[in-house]
Amino acid sequence: MSADTPSAGPLAWLRDRLGWTAISSSLAEHRAPRRSFIFYLGGITGFLLLLQILSGVLLTVYYRPDAAQAHESVERIVGEISYGHLIRAVHAWSADLFIASLLLHLFTVLARRSYRPPQELSWLSGLVLLVLGLGLAFTGAILPWSQRAYTDARVGSEFAHYFPVIGVWLQHLMRGGDEVTSNTLAHAFGFHVAVLPAAVTAIVGAHFFVLSRKPPGKVDAAKTDAIPLYPDFFVRQAVAMTGVLVVVLTLATFVDRPLGPAADSRLPSPPGALPPWYFLPAHAIVRAAPKELLGIEGPRFLIGAACLLLIGIAALPFIDRRGSRLTAGLAWVLLLSFILLSIRALY
Amino acid sequence: MRSTDRLLLAVLACVLAVVGWASTAPAAAPPTNPAASASATGLAAARGRALPSPIEAANSCASCHANLADAKLRTPAKEFSHSAHRDDRIGCVGCHGGDPRDPTVGAHNATMGFRPHPTHSEVPQICGGCHSDAAFIRQINGRLAVGQAALFNISLHGKLTAAGDPAAPDCSSCHGKHDVISPASPLSPVNRANVAKLCRGCHADRDRMARYQIPTDQFEKWEASVHGKAFAAGNPNAPTCTGCHGAHASAPPDAASVAHACGRCHEQEMQLFEQSPHSQGFRKRGLAQCVACHSNHDVTPATALMVGTGPDATCMKCHGHDEKPRKVADDIAGLLRGARARASEAREGVANARAEGLRVSGASYALDRVATAETKVRSVVHTLDPARVEAVVGEIDQAASEALSLVASAERDRRTERRGYYAALALAGLLLITLVLKARQLDRRRARGIP
Repeated sequence: MSADTPSAGPLAWLRDRLGWTAISSSLAEHRAPRRSFIFYLGGITGFLLLLQILSGVLLTVYYRPDAAQAHESVERIVGEISYGHLIRAVHAWSADLFIASLLLHLFTVLARRSYRPPQELSWLSGLVLLVLGLGLAFTGAILPWSQRAYTDARVGSEFAHYFPVIGVWLQHLMRGGDEVTSNTLAHAFGFHVAVLPAAVTAIVGAHFFVLSRKPPGKVDAAKTDAIPLYPDFFVRQAVAMTGVLVVVLTLATFVDRPLGPAADSRLPSPPGALPPWYFLPAHAIVRAAPKELLGIEGPRFLIGAACLLLIGIAALPFIDRRGSRLTAGLAWVLLLSFILLSIRALY
Repeated sequence: MRSTDRLLLAVLACVLAVVGWASTAPAAAPPTNPAASASATGLAAARGRALPSPIEAANSCASCHANLADAKLRTPAKEFSHSAHRDDRIGCVGCHGGDPRDPTVGAHNATMGFRPHPTHSEVPQICGGCHSDAAFIRQINGRLAVGQAALFNISLHGKLTAAGDPAAPDCSSCHGKHDVISPASPLSPVNRANVAKLCRGCHADRDRMARYQIPTDQFEKWEASVHGKAFAAGNPNAPTCTGCHGAHASAPPDAASVAHACGRCHEQEMQLFEQSPHSQGFRKRGLAQCVACHSNHDVTPATALMVGTGPDATCMKCHGHDEKPRKVADDIAGLLRGARARASEAREGVANARAEGLRVSGASYALDRVATAETKVRSVVHTLDPARVEAVVGEIDQAASEALSLVASAERDRRTERRGYYAALALAGLLLITLVLKARQLDRRRARGIP
């Protein structure tokens, strides 16, 4: 259908106005592997971010970012507002799955050495997204201002103190002062609903822009499992996203996310309190660190070493331009370390 | 100058000389001769006690005694320096007399009222000398109450002391001697926090109490009682010994007056008890009102089980074989049982709903009303009138029903929501199946070479 052809029906009208025929033809020329699930991980991560944004906006309507009212407002969302329980559970589960999907996405990129030039910027933007995602998860966990949230804020900001160079500044920023107070909640709210989402949106935009300008290596169209990007890959991506939606809704419906009692700074931390699963490796490192290593505070030394390792991984596209097979091994070592350290933190 | 003028001048000079001598006499003040104190107290109170000037208010006693080698003589000066009486306008002379301006041993001047060891019966008079003089006390500390001596004199302690009983307490037995500090201080033995232990000091002493033939287990009983436990838990309204017996006017309440002691806090219960058939009956038989059912020092928490015809019911202590009282007790016990069951059901229902994450808006208010009515019913029981008890039990039933109805409504809403969850899940599943079918269709088309 050309631009001059009169439109028949609203869908055809919309296609006409968007110039969809040209776009779809262009997309159809690209090929993607049909069966490899790793090609769907990016889209799934983006979809989980979208779910968080939509549910987060609804939660913001009833949430009160004030230490005296925060916990009560979340209690109200869960116990009084229609479908508030579902919305909060969807928000919490999609946040957990977002981090999991992001980590898995980065692992597959590392294992497949897909960071190689010209993908430096998409690799770096992906790493920045991970950091921002962890920031979103940390600040979001503080907002209910329950006893658990208070403990997370205190322990998390204590952990930040061990970061080299920026540690003290970061701790002060996270706490909104020297101690965990109502200022901490105000800071967490500001970062969670404004600063970090804006940064994530910008980085996601940059990530897709870079990918569209410098797409990953072309898939051989002659291969049997190669499919056109549109409509075949798009439909499969929609299947993956809908599958994730079913998983999130199932978890939200059947697995409870208890709120716990309101924060009380006079009470001790709950016995056996652990950070969220994605911070378990860091928890294990700090807990197992000796008092001093090479004249430096033990936890500070180990966290500093972990930061250097991450900087080295971030610089891989510039160090390992051809994509050494050792890097694939490094990805598995990192995955194994993550799992073992998490288990160590649990027991 | 005429002779009359000379005579006038001479008279004027004499008057000035007398006035001048009078003004240099030792401080008017607090200290009075103990021998004449009984009559002087009234006189001083009538004309108002004067404070000495700063120059006159020298306290050579404290400065001299503080440096004496004999610890027995030095300690009082040391203790006095931290006491509430350390004000130079009171000084040692306030109680011991003498001449505080004389820096030598001449200060121990018997003609100036010096008394090194006030006797047991003199102490209340000495303390009362100042503490019964409102005008004088106001000049020293306007917040202090006056009249303690008069109250002490009418107390059993005061009467025994006045009769010369050496085992009876005087002011210093409770407040201390040279180290008297404000009762507001937590360090003071008469502070609310310490007063029960202070009383125990004498009243748990079997040898000391033997002559009075009174029990010595009051403190132990009080400590285990509902009052003692509430006091230990920091309840500012829980009574200690002075709460019921009074402080300076302490006297054991007798059968006729015990309800008034209890009624100082439990006012409503006292009034309702007065309306009950027990009120007259107890009076006639000389039974101690509240104590007959609740005991005195070992008061236990009042539960609904106290009323009824069961083996533990208090009513059965007297009415084991009386038909009419048994029926009343049974009726009231039945009402209380029902109210307790309804209140428990409401509390449990709200707690369970909250545990499931339901907020149950308004339930807290309904449960508060249940609690208020429960307190009310505990008071109304004292009337022994089943009709009045039933009216209050009705309030419990109504508030409990409201709470349970709110729970039921919240649970209904949650069930409706759940159906919404399943519907959303089903829709998402349907969409998933549709998209899978579409993907397969595309696969088949591609396999057949259809663009």
